[in-house]
Amino acid sequence: MKRDEIIQMFPEYLRAGWEKTAEQADGLQEIRMRVNRPATVLIGCREKFVDKNGGLMDMPPKDADVTAEDLEAILKHLCRYSVYAFADEIRRGFLTIQGGHRVGLSGQVILEEADRVRNLKYIRYLNIRIAHEIKGVSDALLPRLYDGTGALYNTLLISPPGCGKTTMLRDLVRNVSDGNAFGAGVNVSVVDERSEIAGSYMGAAQNDVGIRTDVLDGCPKREGMMMLIRAMAPQVLAVDELGGSDDIQALRMAYGCGCRLIATIHGGSLDEIIHKNYMRDVIRDRLFERYVVLTRKSGRCEVEGIYNGDGLHV
Amino acid sequence: MFKILGIMCILAGCLGWGISRIGEERGRVRNLRELISIITRIRDEIAYGKHTMPEICLILAQCCSPAYRDCFRKIYDQVEEGRGAPFDQIWKRQTDECLRGVPLTEEEKDVLKEIPQSLGMQEERLQAESVERLAGLLVRHCRKAEEAYENKSKVILSVSVLTGIFITILLI
Repeated sequence: MKRDEIIQMFPEYLRAGWEKTAEQADGLQEIRMRVNRPATVLIGCREKFVDKNGGLMDMPPKDADVTAEDLEAILKHLCRYSVYAFADEIRRGFLTIQGGHRVGLSGQVILEEADRVRNLKYIRYLNIRIAHEIKGVSDALLPRLYDGTGALYNTLLISPPGCGKTTMLRDLVRNVSDGNAFGAGVNVSVVDERSEIAGSYMGAAQNDVGIRTDVLDGCPKREGMMMLIRAMAPQVLAVDELGGSDDIQALRMAYGCGCRLIATIHGGSLDEIIHKNYMRDVIRDRLFERYVVLTRKSGRCEVEGIYNGDGLHV
Repeated sequence: MFKILGIMCILAGCLGWGISRIGEERGRVRNLRELISIITRIRDEIAYGKHTMPEICLILAQCCSPAYRDCFRKIYDQVEEGRGAPFDQIWKRQTDECLRGVPLTEEEKDVLKEIPQSLGMQEERLQAESVERLAGLLVRHCRKAEEAYENKSKVILSVSVLTGIFITILLI
């Protein structure tokens, strides 16, 4: 399945070369393509160069450079020949494609007034991050994320990029929604701003996010949280990548409405989070009752620690 | 008796020819209106729904007339097969097939066939405007065709009847 998804990212004329690479889909984390440079892939935290037949090499191959035409064809194909439909995503520098994979874009920026990014042109660098759905990855956390009465603690997942925050969040949402040994299944609403959690395609979740989960796809977190609270009356609200005071304000409102919260944030440790301006009050007010810190050790993602609202190990 | 039967046959034949010519004109106007409504729908789905082209094909397959339904369904299915064939080639092949035998000029058919060539704008409003221009072209053609239909239909009918009478007189 994953192999097919990877092959389908490429237009017909490039597929023969990428089929060999896609054979290693399970360990494939990232595909990077840069104009006039050979493509590289990250497999199990090791970087490899891709030759023109799709073979993987330790050294840069000759005559295997990615051309500007290739990049344009790939982008057009990824956008389903409808670049206009991805204008907002391109402006933000990434797009999420079928299967929940995220494609980072870089090129030349077109600015508008007040130095705001209007668009990207000459997109010459792509970074395809392969989404991995790992069912059961959050199972070990569950005993410490529920109180004795079956209620979920408000939980914040903290991790640096690439350590599996979103994978963990997705599985946690599934566990909470379906129900588990520590708590009955409840209605969960997910604001999936970048379509990474549910990997929605035409509005329907493609990843397993549980039987009682409603997904609001492609909506900014702040608006999305309020919409879902009003419309879907969730018992648990889940959001990915808190990134500013607006998100926190909406989160507080959700909390005020009686929702339990699961969220993620970029960071290497709980200390780092405490020093973010917009998080200071949240931590002081003990909005979150559990902090789960993820880390990468010798190439593997693992839970570094689980802390309570006071910052103590649990 | 046979003469009267012959006269009747000649008149009916000429009238039939005239009616079929009028039918062709009516068919042309009907097809132009259908194409305009398809292109307008594409514009609306781009501007308001921000749907991708394959999604728009699926929507059109569910709502447009049976003559075009299959064409859009096939485009959607072929894109979804995931073989990676370029969308513009799939679109061209299917619309070519669908418009074969339809009473429209090549220029009018090309408007629908070449929609993928107008794609590529990075903003939905501009993209919708670009598609709207194509609809505008067809609207002008349709207006002309409607006027021609109004004027021609009476003339064609009269000419066909008169031709029938003329042939009858000649043969008698």
